[in-house]
Amino acid sequence: MSTPPLTTRRPEILLAVLLSGCLVALSLQVRRPTGETLGERWLQSLLAPFVDTVAGVRTAGGSVSEWSSSRRALLAENARLRGTVERLEADLLRLRDSERDRDRLLALFGAHPSPPAGTLAARLVAVESAGAFRTALLDRGEGDGVAPDAVVVAAEGVLGRVVAVGSGTARVQLLSDRLAAAGVVLARQGRAAVARGDGKGGAAVHYVPAIEPVEPGDLIVTSGTDGIYPGDLRVGTVKTVTRGSESLFWEIQVAMAADPARTARVFVLPPVKKSDVRPGAPGRK
Amino acid sequence: MTSLRLAAALALSTLGTLGLGALGLRGTPDLFLLPVGDSARRGGPPLAMVAGLLAGLLEDLVSAPGRLVGLHAFTKILVGYLLAAVAARTVVEKPAAVGGLLAGAVLFEALVLVLLLWILRGEVLFPAPLVLALRAVSTAAVGTALHVAVRVPWRERRAARRRMKLG
Repeated sequence: MSTPPLTTRRPEILLAVLLSGCLVALSLQVRRPTGETLGERWLQSLLAPFVDTVAGVRTAGGSVSEWSSSRRALLAENARLRGTVERLEADLLRLRDSERDRDRLLALFGAHPSPPAGTLAARLVAVESAGAFRTALLDRGEGDGVAPDAVVVAAEGVLGRVVAVGSGTARVQLLSDRLAAAGVVLARQGRAAVARGDGKGGAAVHYVPAIEPVEPGDLIVTSGTDGIYPGDLRVGTVKTVTRGSESLFWEIQVAMAADPARTARVFVLPPVKKSDVRPGAPGRK
Repeated sequence: MTSLRLAAALALSTLGTLGLGALGLRGTPDLFLLPVGDSARRGGPPLAMVAGLLAGLLEDLVSAPGRLVGLHAFTKILVGYLLAAVAARTVVEKPAAVGGLLAGAVLFEALVLVLLLWILRGEVLFPAPLVLALRAVSTAAVGTALHVAVRVPWRERRAARRRMKLG
């Protein structure tokens, strides 16, 4: 004898199931105050992850596209800016060069507030050394009014004198040349002496008696007595002071004030007139 | 056999409801209640509830388009269960009792519908009393008529008339 099913023995169970099913179906169809049915809400809840994923993918795609277009635009702008930067850097270098030239000229004019008539501004285009001979080349020549024995000075001090003149260039014998010499004065002591080039980039001062209190750092200027260099031009400072065992004079090495290797802008002073030569430096020892 | 009887009854109820709806009459009988009552009397609560479910769904789909599907299914299931419970405890054979039971079922279903709509939609929608009364009376009349027609022993009467003619 077979047992009847549970729903037949207990019809209340079937009643509850059917009524619950109807209620669920009705609840799914009833529209909420928000305008949506419960079924739509459940459907939205179920589909929300998928919708979010699709939206995320779409957003990511849009972001990638935007990134790509932005990258292209940025690359183009980068190239344009790079060109601008290069142009500006070239301008900057040119301006800095001009500023350095201006500073040098200002220094030159500051050192010589009223240069003598006929003074020329020039540029040292080459510095040459052959053994003990030290020369430099100017970019000005006879056509510009440069004459032999014209004195070349930098902002820091005297450099040398013109020994040969071309039409557009002139050769300068530097004071450090082995054969160059100039009348100088030790400014602190007022002692006149002679400075000669040592052929090594410096000079030595001769004929200073050992009784003179010479010390390193003493200033040395031109005396204006040699007929070449005008007076009171800075030559350099005392570098070392030594004395031979039986010598009556100091052996003085000079640290040159002007370094031709680091100087570009110079002044070319006209040759000293005979009438301007100081006669034996009166008042000096 | 029971399933075929139920299917035929549901089909006839559907056709009848559609026909009455086409006529535009008010207070028409609840024809879908009749198969439920018949199933309750013959098959007990499970069959009555299944019949109520099917009849209610058909009524929701046919007679009230656009309304909540399952609304009349709910009420018909409940009515079917109650009718089956009554049929299991008493013997309803008299036509007046059948008619009264069907009329009460119509009123009870209307009450459940009001409550259900109030719960689901938050609004109380009472049916027109006259229409409801007409519906209860017409349903009871149709149900009683069918009950009586089904209980008449047509075959025995026809055989008796034939025997009388031959004798």
